[in-house]
Amino acid sequence: MSKAVAQQAEEQEVIIDLAKANAIIDKYIDLPGNLMPVLQAVQDSYGYIPQVAADLIAERLNVYPSQIYGVLTFYAQFHLKPRGRFIIRVCVGTACHVQGAQRIKETFFNLLHIAHTETSADLRFTFEEVACLGACGMAPLAMVNDDTYGKMTVQKVDEIVAKYSAIPLD
Amino acid sequence: MLNLTIDGKQVTAPKDSTIYDAARINGIKIPILCHDKKLKPFGACRMCLVEVEQMKGRQIPACTTPITEGMIVQTATPEIVKARELVLELLLLNHPLDCPVCDKGGDCDLQNLTYDYKVDSNRFLDSKFQHEIDYNNPLIERDMNRCVLCGKCVRICDEIVGFGALTFIDRGIETKIGCEFEKGLNCEFCGSCVSVCPVGSLLARPFKFKARFWSLTKQKSVCGYCGTGCNLTLGVKDNKVLTTIYDENQGFHNGQLCVRGRFGYQFINSEKRLTKPLVRKNGKLEESNWDEALEIIASRMKGAGAEVAAIATPRLTNEELLLFKKMMIMAGSNNYDHAAGYAHAALSDGFVRSFGTTAAPSTILDIQKSDLLLVIKTDSYETHPVIGFEINMAVKNKGVTLKILSDKQGKLSRLPDARTLVHSPGSEVAILNAMARVILDNKLADGSVTDVPGFANFEKALAGFAPEAIAEQCGLSAVDIKLLASSYARAEKALILFPVGQAYPGHNAALANAVANLAIIAGKLGKEGSGVLCLSEKNNSQGAVDMGFYAVDGALDALQIIDGCAAGSIKTLFIAGENPLVSYPDHAKIKAALDQTEFLIVSELFMTETAAMADVVLPVCSFAEKEGTVTATDRRVQHIKPAIKKIGQSRTDFEVFAALIDKLGGIAPATPASVFAEIAANVPGYADMSYSALGDEGVFAAVDVKPAFVVPQQTAAASPESGKLALVTGSALYHNGTLSQYGEGPMHVCPEGYIELSRADAAALKFAENDLLTVTSASGSMKLKARVTSRMPQGLVFAPYHFGANPVNQVWSGSPVTWVTVVK
Ligand code: SF4
Ligand code: SF4
Ligand code: SF4
Ligand code: FES
Ligand code: FES
Repeated sequence: MSKAVAQQAEEQEVIIDLAKANAIIDKYIDLPGNLMPVLQAVQDSYGYIPQVAADLIAERLNVYPSQIYGVLTFYAQFHLKPRGRFIIRVCVGTACHVQGAQRIKETFFNLLHIAHTETSADLRFTFEEVACLGACGMAPLAMVNDDTYGKMTVQKVDEIVAKYSAIPLD
Repeated sequence: MLNLTIDGKQVTAPKDSTIYDAARINGIKIPILCHDKKLKPFGACRMCLVEVEQMKGRQIPACTTPITEGMIVQTATPEIVKARELVLELLLLNHPLDCPVCDKGGDCDLQNLTYDYKVDSNRFLDSKFQHEIDYNNPLIERDMNRCVLCGKCVRICDEIVGFGALTFIDRGIETKIGCEFEKGLNCEFCGSCVSVCPVGSLLARPFKFKARFWSLTKQKSVCGYCGTGCNLTLGVKDNKVLTTIYDENQGFHNGQLCVRGRFGYQFINSEKRLTKPLVRKNGKLEESNWDEALEIIASRMKGAGAEVAAIATPRLTNEELLLFKKMMIMAGSNNYDHAAGYAHAALSDGFVRSFGTTAAPSTILDIQKSDLLLVIKTDSYETHPVIGFEINMAVKNKGVTLKILSDKQGKLSRLPDARTLVHSPGSEVAILNAMARVILDNKLADGSVTDVPGFANFEKALAGFAPEAIAEQCGLSAVDIKLLASSYARAEKALILFPVGQAYPGHNAALANAVANLAIIAGKLGKEGSGVLCLSEKNNSQGAVDMGFYAVDGALDALQIIDGCAAGSIKTLFIAGENPLVSYPDHAKIKAALDQTEFLIVSELFMTETAAMADVVLPVCSFAEKEGTVTATDRRVQHIKPAIKKIGQSRTDFEVFAALIDKLGGIAPATPASVFAEIAANVPGYADMSYSALGDEGVFAAVDVKPAFVVPQQTAAASPESGKLALVTGSALYHNGTLSQYGEGPMHVCPEGYIELSRADAAALKFAENDLLTVTSASGSMKLKARVTSRMPQGLVFAPYHFGANPVNQVWSGSPVTWVTVVK
């Protein structure tokens, strides 16, 4: 993660209610090997790992803050900044690349102005490039949360963005 | 021992050796990059690859592979050499190769290995790293572009320092070393990571562009700060100490140092050093010369008798202290003392009564050999950081149990499974006595205790220390006291540690007696890894007591001398290196007393607050300019030699006292060596010592322990004053006494005093971090910046005592607990 992203993560963490994190830690505190489950539960609960929550976990589980950060950056499953309600994944694997993944990616960018791992300001969308999703026959491929969209076209990008933009955020 | 063959040579090695160890002890060199003898095997760099015949000639890392009987090892076949060349080529691929401006040049493992393996070209091509260099702190530069990911910094900061500031971030080609959330380094600044980094990724900023490594002269010495007595290597050029040089084979601590030892050397060549004698004329200190200054002093001393008194810093050498004492005796006075008197009472009074000797029976080497450590005050880490490392290693690597009795939590509290009993301030003596009572009541006492002198009276006195009653007074539960007592008693080997010093007036003779009583009753003396260790504050605190530089037989102790100055009964006061105006309790009182003193002589390195009040100021030398011996807290007597020539016209205190003895009509010994010979002849425990016997790492002075129980006094618990907070003083990690104020490193990271308080108090009083608070006690008022931390219990505030610009003794009364009000 770049310094700029770290800063961005910092700025976004204005008011985080730590009650949920505290409750999660309470639940795991006496179990051995509790760091991963706590981090996973905190991520499930907040959608990402806020820095203040990482600090709290470090203090309460008596783990170095640096060590937690090492874990968070080692595993791709952890996110250090808020994530959008809809995670758009565009495959850039070989098959998809050959079939024009680049255009698909650019079209998303032109519509949403978010690049790889970035999240829209309204927290609606997060955009990610991923390696082969294992459905090369349907290349180029995109996913939004658990929904798969094969044989993507520029036209379909417009439709997808329109569809998910229409769903109200709670 | 196992037998194996390395490069065709039949060798033997202990059975838990790795191939690397076995080769090393048999004089066969295997190159390493990520391995460090102090750290757990890691096996990341593949520089140490060897071939083992039994493993079908596969290449395996020597640093992690244990040896087996009959192993046949090849360390330098053409294939291995090729593999190592490849490792180096790959490392050099992204490495900036900016050796001409890298301070590691000449001392860099990567550079040396590249040279050894003649890697003068690269078959690969890739771009250099583009990491931002961390200049966020004043002491350590972090340039991850040069990093070879050996992980030594991460590991040492965890395994030995126990701070854990650094980690591996990301993975694969992106991997780098850094702190959480990419923040700048904000740690203890011990520099351990710098010392083990094999390349120029971690560098000491104060040394940047000061000198090329090979142009430095290495001078062995002993750290001039705390009583741990760490061995140092000073890097000297043009009569200047420019840096400290890491030597992994130096001292019990394998070259480990704390921030003071590693980064606090700048006081030696400080521009603020006094270079000429000064004499007060018409109310002003004016430059003078040695003849005039010494003549004036001699005339004040001659026949002065008990009207003259002396206070010395325990930073003087043993020889200097002995000479100072002789000079005072020639002047006709027994009024000499050091360390405010009370700071050495644990040794000079407490242990004398408990053990019949002025020293603790155990040594630092016992820490890692123990089963259970009982540490009194978490401050032991801050006062003696390298002893703190020993505790870290004992607990983390050897599984030693750590129990802490303290008025606050601290870094030690966070060690694995450490248990800290946080009691109300000033109540440790009562708790220790209650523990002794529990041990007796539960029949856990050592079988032979009834034979120890004083047992009957001790047993009787313990009746007044029922754990239930004491627990209530001390803010603990009786169960906790009982559990602590029984785990202490049941441990096969248990060691009690407690710090003493000018900021810890409660750590006095009574505490030493309580600790000793406990160790005696539980039968913990006289065993390796067991006993009692008193951590004394300064580099020669133990020596000052051994030399008998303190008041005996009704002579005045340091605080009585101050009173005598105020009353006019002391007319001439010679202060050598001490700075009572800052470091003794009750600023206003000390100031008034020194004002009243007819004639004040100060020998000093700097124009301290105290020196500024003097009538004569003598410029004297630092430890780096003199010869003599100093005795560490565990009685390690070490020899120091001049590393540089004297600064300006400064002289050693030895020369000053010798000259004065001559002027008073005596015959001064010619050299420190001759005084040391006298010490070896007369001081118990120093018998038969000689400079050559001391060698590089010193020799332990023998202690002859004759245990006796000392009857404890009932003490009333410090009763809280309503609406007030309990102020306790102490040592900050980055400082030692007042000297470290002249070391730039410590001042860079901890430039001023502060008041540390709990989150609960801060919330209740609506204080935030860095608020300027007014602290008021019965003796005065001052402003200090707030520090809000999780380690403080509610109702307790802590302030370090080192800072002359705004000394805490403006409010600190000198009792273990000072009641204060704090407002914004
Ligand atoms: S200076 Fe000491 S505490 Fe700081 S990162 Fe290095 S080893 Fe750790
Ligand atoms: S900074 Fe130095 S010690 Fe740390 S991993 Fe990199 S090369 Fe090794
Ligand atoms: S101050 Fe003490 S612990 Fe630190 S290096 Fe010097 S002697 Fe060692
Ligand atoms: S390359 Fe896109 S699904 Fe395989
Ligand atoms: S020294 Fe053995 S793998 Fe690095």
